[in-house]
Amino acid sequence: MKKTNPGVGIDRRTLLGAGFTCAGLGLFGGPLGRAALAAAGDTSNRILVVLELSGGNDGLNTVVPYADDAYYRLRPSVAIPEDKVRKIDSHFGFNPGLSGFERLYKNGKMAIVHGCGYANPSFSHFTSMAYWHTAAPNSGNEHGWMGRLADTMRPGGASNFIVNIDATQSFAVQSRDHVPVVFDDPDKFARQGFNSETPIFQHVAEAPDDHNASRRYLLDIARGALDASALVREACDKYETPVDYGLVPVDMNKIAALIAADMPTRLYYTAFRNNAFDTHVHQGNLHRRLLTYAADAVHGFIADMERIGRADDVVVLMFSEFGRRVPENTSLGTDHGAAGTMFLAGKPVKGGHYGAVPSLTALDEGDNLDFTTDFRRVYASVIDGWLGVDAAAVLGEEFATFDMIV
Amino acid sequence: MHIGSISSRLGALAVIGFLMASQGQAGHHDWQDDLSPIGAEDWNYDRAAHLIERAGFGATPAEIEALAAMTPDEIVRWLVNYESVPNGNLPAFEHSGIFEPGLDPFPPSRPATTALGRANGEALGVRVKPAGNRRLQPVVNKFFYWLRASMLETRRVAYWWGGRMLATERPLEEKMTLFWHGHFATIESKVRDYRKMLLQNETLRQKATGNFGELLLAVAQDPAMLAFLDAGVNVAGAPNENFAREVMEIFSMGVGNYSETDIREAARAFTGWYFDNLTFVVNAHQHDTGAKTFLGQSGNFDGAEVVRIILEQPVTAEYISARLYRFFVREDLSPALNARLAAILRDADYELKPLLRAIFLSRDFYSATSVGSHIKSPVELVISSYRKLGLHTLPGIPDFNESTGVLGQALFWPPTVAGWAGGRSWVTPGLLLERGNFARRVLFPDIDFVPHDIYASDGLIREVHRRTVTGADITTATMPPVADAGGMMAESNMMADRSEDFNTRFGSYRGWQMAIERVKPIPRAAAVLDLARMVREAGLTTTTEVVNHMLMRLLRVPLGATERNMLVSFLDQELGTSDIVRAESYLEDGLRMLVHLIMSQPEYQLG
Repeated sequence: MKKTNPGVGIDRRTLLGAGFTCAGLGLFGGPLGRAALAAAGDTSNRILVVLELSGGNDGLNTVVPYADDAYYRLRPSVAIPEDKVRKIDSHFGFNPGLSGFERLYKNGKMAIVHGCGYANPSFSHFTSMAYWHTAAPNSGNEHGWMGRLADTMRPGGASNFIVNIDATQSFAVQSRDHVPVVFDDPDKFARQGFNSETPIFQHVAEAPDDHNASRRYLLDIARGALDASALVREACDKYETPVDYGLVPVDMNKIAALIAADMPTRLYYTAFRNNAFDTHVHQGNLHRRLLTYAADAVHGFIADMERIGRADDVVVLMFSEFGRRVPENTSLGTDHGAAGTMFLAGKPVKGGHYGAVPSLTALDEGDNLDFTTDFRRVYASVIDGWLGVDAAAVLGEEFATFDMIV
Repeated sequence: MHIGSISSRLGALAVIGFLMASQGQAGHHDWQDDLSPIGAEDWNYDRAAHLIERAGFGATPAEIEALAAMTPDEIVRWLVNYESVPNGNLPAFEHSGIFEPGLDPFPPSRPATTALGRANGEALGVRVKPAGNRRLQPVVNKFFYWLRASMLETRRVAYWWGGRMLATERPLEEKMTLFWHGHFATIESKVRDYRKMLLQNETLRQKATGNFGELLLAVAQDPAMLAFLDAGVNVAGAPNENFAREVMEIFSMGVGNYSETDIREAARAFTGWYFDNLTFVVNAHQHDTGAKTFLGQSGNFDGAEVVRIILEQPVTAEYISARLYRFFVREDLSPALNARLAAILRDADYELKPLLRAIFLSRDFYSATSVGSHIKSPVELVISSYRKLGLHTLPGIPDFNESTGVLGQALFWPPTVAGWAGGRSWVTPGLLLERGNFARRVLFPDIDFVPHDIYASDGLIREVHRRTVTGADITTATMPPVADAGGMMAESNMMADRSEDFNTRFGSYRGWQMAIERVKPIPRAAAVLDLARMVREAGLTTTTEVVNHMLMRLLRVPLGATERNMLVSFLDQELGTSDIVRAESYLEDGLRMLVHLIMSQPEYQLG
């Protein structure tokens, strides 16, 4: 594993990221450090990692408003008792499972965004997730917001610009110009065969320009598979870290391996899979455990970024397709709700609370939290404030941003 | 299939037909959206191959030739009216005998089980010990036994079903059962009862091409579905909306055609619907008997009436016909064509056969945009590969469930209630490689194959086993392996065996052992192939003929000339000659590599 050394000249990643060839190096007229680049507003090393908490994370039992009586009144069985909460101020505390988030928050590396949602909320996992994936609530888009972001950052596409760690590709990374690298198990991400077969495996046909779009798609995928599989496998095989990512690393360790291997990837997307946060029934222990896995993995990832000298370059965004209904149900769980909580973590993040806290007493007619923050404001904040890209070009309209990144 | 008995040696005609197809003759360019039936004069080998690939799981060249010799009407009648086709040689599922009274209804979690044990002195048919340490341990062991045993037995059900798909004489019956499994997606890991999963599979098969309304009602009363979508907690005064939402959003109407109020009202109508083991029951005291207003109608509705009202919505016929069309034909469906398909379904009072017949006979089905554009699902890929290679029983090596699961389609474990997304989402760079790797495992079996139904891939369990059999007490045996630096293990070694109600990790280990003992193993025979015989029987004499034959046998979309020539050169090199007669005594390995290369092509993923 290569260890990068901040401030010691331009490195390969900068070159790849900025799209410069070796011939273009002379234009810089000498060494230029990462710190200098950063000071000049250079964003070409910056990486965005999105972690999806699928299933509808219960925001109220994640960041607990322990000072609000209404919370305990509406959730007599599933509320987290005040003495169990990991208090971060006089009103809020984290779920007891979130020691990882507590440490990040207390070190000023975590932003909590309250009341995230959109008007006329859908309570369907699939619909609401599609709205979040496309950043087009009550509407649609044939490409995902991360895919469009990639198309704006690098029109025409580039190899390995987006990595999606999952068994199947997320709609969020569906792009016009880019074929995302999608893999789950790096060891499986390899062609097996005999040596004499290799030349044929290395050859991918030119797609005929006919009616068969599926064939063209598959041939594109085959070309992408050729180079990506070697890179990913090598990166993950070589990677060793002393950092503890907890019991379930949620693939954050794989992302660290790819970053450590200087992949030119700028956008990473991974998910806590299988609708895990859909806690309709007996949610207490289950929800706490899920949060522990997610928080330990993110905490470990950021510690690992510090270790390899990339902490200044990485921001992690976490979201779920909706929060859960404020009153508990009769099965010691909670049903699909509306507004939820988003998180931003990383060294460049300005820690603290963002967004107005929704009222627990003025609920909508379905007993849900009214959203106070259009979730696209948070997308816009990272697109514009972190990646330096025109957010309106990606999202199709202007959104007020939060000043939440250094 | 019965046509297999019509012995028909592959002749040069079919090869010529396929090579012509590479000139773009497979699908007709002017037939898109044309529902008029294809004429007997337009019937040929390629179109028969296209039909059996989509309506079934593919076929060998000899079988396709027999289909090409029939008329489209005859074949579609055989496919759709399959009730008259004898299928008696398919074995029934052979139960291992893992179920015991007390396991149904199964509590939702381990904590719920132990709470039940504490409250009642008994749970899952096991009594709590009157005294001593870990009084609840037998209850916890039983809990994990059933989790593991039901999971393993469901994998046996999936293997059995895969065997049916491969050997059936009624390909459309199994294809439609697969369609409905994706449509009414139900997941074992929540149902936790292989018996209910098997019963649902049998219900879907029995009603696969009958009346959609009857099927929808049967699914609404299906114990696996009731367990899956939380029917047990949908009771008067506290309705749970899970089933009511999915029945409209995914099963019948599609999103956006009803309001949140309709969902709440429908949930009330379904209150009290539950199961007792494998039987649907209505718990009258939990049913909400008040008036409901649902999709504009008011009354004291129950679930059956909600289903009736759903069927009255024009959008339901549109939604179901579109789902079927996208499964069998192609992704793009114009609103005009969708309306005509929906009319066929509605005019037949939701009988499915007229619609299926219309689709399979339509010129649109054989149009250029339809043919060769379907990305095969993992189950389609695996089963059709075996069929095309001439197998009649499902190999145990590679493991069927692992092969399909790694590629993203484990039967009885769809990712969510929405089923599999399908289409392009089946293939990513990694999964394309893995599809080729599946072919390699079939053609060159792994000598390090491990059956994971017996051998735990979970390292933690193996570690508990290692410490237990070397005499460690339960606390020591089940301590988490040292993850942090130094001190932790030393500390744990000094701990005495704890006094506690039960040990979860030990229960998981013991339950695993109990499951291995009870669940019958899946037979572990590798695929037995004889590609050299295929070449001999087809009378092929040159490497060029062999490559053309294998391409025709395996692909529905022809390769380009460059790629075909590369394969011929490859085979020349492997055999040391282009003369097949000269190479006859050592053909097999070269042929297997050739087939591996073909099955790894992007074009092989298309059907």
